[in-house]
Amino acid sequence: MTKYILKRLGQGLLTVFLTVSTVFILVRLAPGDPAVAYAGPLATTEELAKVREQFGLDLPLIQQYWIFLQQLFTGDLGTSYSFQAPAIQVVLERMPYTLTLATASILLTAVVAIPLGVWMSRRPDTKKEFGVNVLTIAGQSMPDFWTGIMLLTFFAVLIPIFPASGFATWSALVLPTVTIAILQIALISRMVRREMTTNFAAPYLTVARSRGVRNSLLTWRYAMGNSAIPVFTALGTRFAAMLNGVVVVEVVFAWPGVGSLIVRALETRDYPLIVATVLITALLAVGVQLIIDLAYPLLDPRIRLGKAATA
Amino acid sequence: MSAQTAATATPAAHSEQPLLEVRDFQVELITDAGIVRAVDAVSFSIHRGETVTIIGESGSGKSTTAMGILRLLPEDLAVLSGTVLIDGVDVTADPKAIDKVRGRTLALIPQDPMTALSPVHSIGNQLSEAIRIAGAASKDPGAVRARAIRLLEQVHIPTPDAQLKKYPHQLSGGMLQRVLIAIALASEPQLLVADEPTSALDVTVQAGILDLLLELQEQRGIGILMITHDLGVARLISDRIHVMKDGAFVESGEVQQIVDNPATEYTRKLLAAVPVLGAWDETPADGTALTTTGASHD
Repeated sequence: MTKYILKRLGQGLLTVFLTVSTVFILVRLAPGDPAVAYAGPLATTEELAKVREQFGLDLPLIQQYWIFLQQLFTGDLGTSYSFQAPAIQVVLERMPYTLTLATASILLTAVVAIPLGVWMSRRPDTKKEFGVNVLTIAGQSMPDFWTGIMLLTFFAVLIPIFPASGFATWSALVLPTVTIAILQIALISRMVRREMTTNFAAPYLTVARSRGVRNSLLTWRYAMGNSAIPVFTALGTRFAAMLNGVVVVEVVFAWPGVGSLIVRALETRDYPLIVATVLITALLAVGVQLIIDLAYPLLDPRIRLGKAATA
Repeated sequence: MSAQTAATATPAAHSEQPLLEVRDFQVELITDAGIVRAVDAVSFSIHRGETVTIIGESGSGKSTTAMGILRLLPEDLAVLSGTVLIDGVDVTADPKAIDKVRGRTLALIPQDPMTALSPVHSIGNQLSEAIRIAGAASKDPGAVRARAIRLLEQVHIPTPDAQLKKYPHQLSGGMLQRVLIAIALASEPQLLVADEPTSALDVTVQAGILDLLLELQEQRGIGILMITHDLGVARLISDRIHVMKDGAFVESGEVQQIVDNPATEYTRKLLAAVPVLGAWDETPADGTALTTTGASHD
């Protein structure tokens, strides 16, 4: 088990390293000059050259990369151009906001999508289920920036019960969370429905029914117990994806998380900040994925105990 | 209609009411191609200690009959009619009535033991649940566990307390079928419906499971409805056999009578289809001769 964890950890760190390296090189190959963004459009050629020298951008790419690798080992990715603070520190300050939003969103998704999917699976192909299905397809089809703007218009402007932007009070969490969750609920509830329908048709469920197991137990203990792995995986993967910054939603709601940070970092060609954001979010995503993998054995005895010889 | 009267008249001769009485039972399945009458007006009964077998080839409607009696067919796809009395409870008239007999009077031994238990719950977990539903033992975990071990002993599972914490994928098909029989016995059932209980098992294991069923029947006097396509199984354990084809019984009677004097061509074909080990014949064209020999040996 320890060997497995170490192996997965090594794979994860390699993934993070390759991701960060790719981003390091790509941002430098992309058009746009951080010196111009920093010094302003009216800066003279001498001023721009001075800025480039200050940021180390006058060095050849390979040398910049070598310096970056050394920095990576010490955990210091340099100073953010626009914040004039250690890039890592800027990202870490934003991280709790994104974590809060992602956690709230995934919890809301789980709490709504699982019962909804179960409800749908219990009455397949009925008018009610069809109605809910139409709603989930609608939820899946609405782009999140549009959902966000609509929610803002209704619940922050027309009926001002929630703040329109920022994170000054906990109530500010509601609208961005709902915006993210609508799409996720649509996807996850349909997945739960599919898994549950499959398990309702499984032989062990019929046999359990034949021995008088109550419907509620058949649903939650049997069908859900056997649907848990794919549902848990889907929720975990979506959570990991949200940690990379829910960019559009954070921008719409002026949420002070890493999503809006990366947009700003890209706009200002803030190379250290871009790389630091990618590093932190990639580390988190890999960490969450590892936790999901390690939780499988808890959910499925076939993985925990391995396949025994059958005769 | 006269056969019908005769069928209902026979149980009257017994002093007790039959465990299972099926009259004019009909199952219509709603399929994409239209309504299919899978079971067409079958009537039979089972008394305590009796084994009644429905034999037929795949698609003859024998499993649908069993599943229909247990009301395990999808409610929206299967239309049941006729009368099914399980220990006097009419389960066709009132869909809720089946709850009174499931896990109590009635138990099912399923076709494929490998898929009949939830893969993520332990043997002990599923067995204890059946014990609690039966309500026979006290709810005390120790008592439930003791009863679970006793049930596993009764189906001759070695080291029962070690098996309780195992999961279905860790046991063989034969062991799983024994576990399923133990689960069925948890409720002290009077009627077992065995839907091809040995067809998914190795031949060497089949005999053990059939022996176990016969032993339990002898000890407890339970009635068994056996569904099989295997004449060998039917001969070994049945009191009466109903031969099913296209949803209806084409022939019914005592085992010896059916085997010795099959009344219909279909039954004769079923009898002739039993492979029999004989002297190895080098000439492949003589395949028919081999089965003929087999049938006459029977």
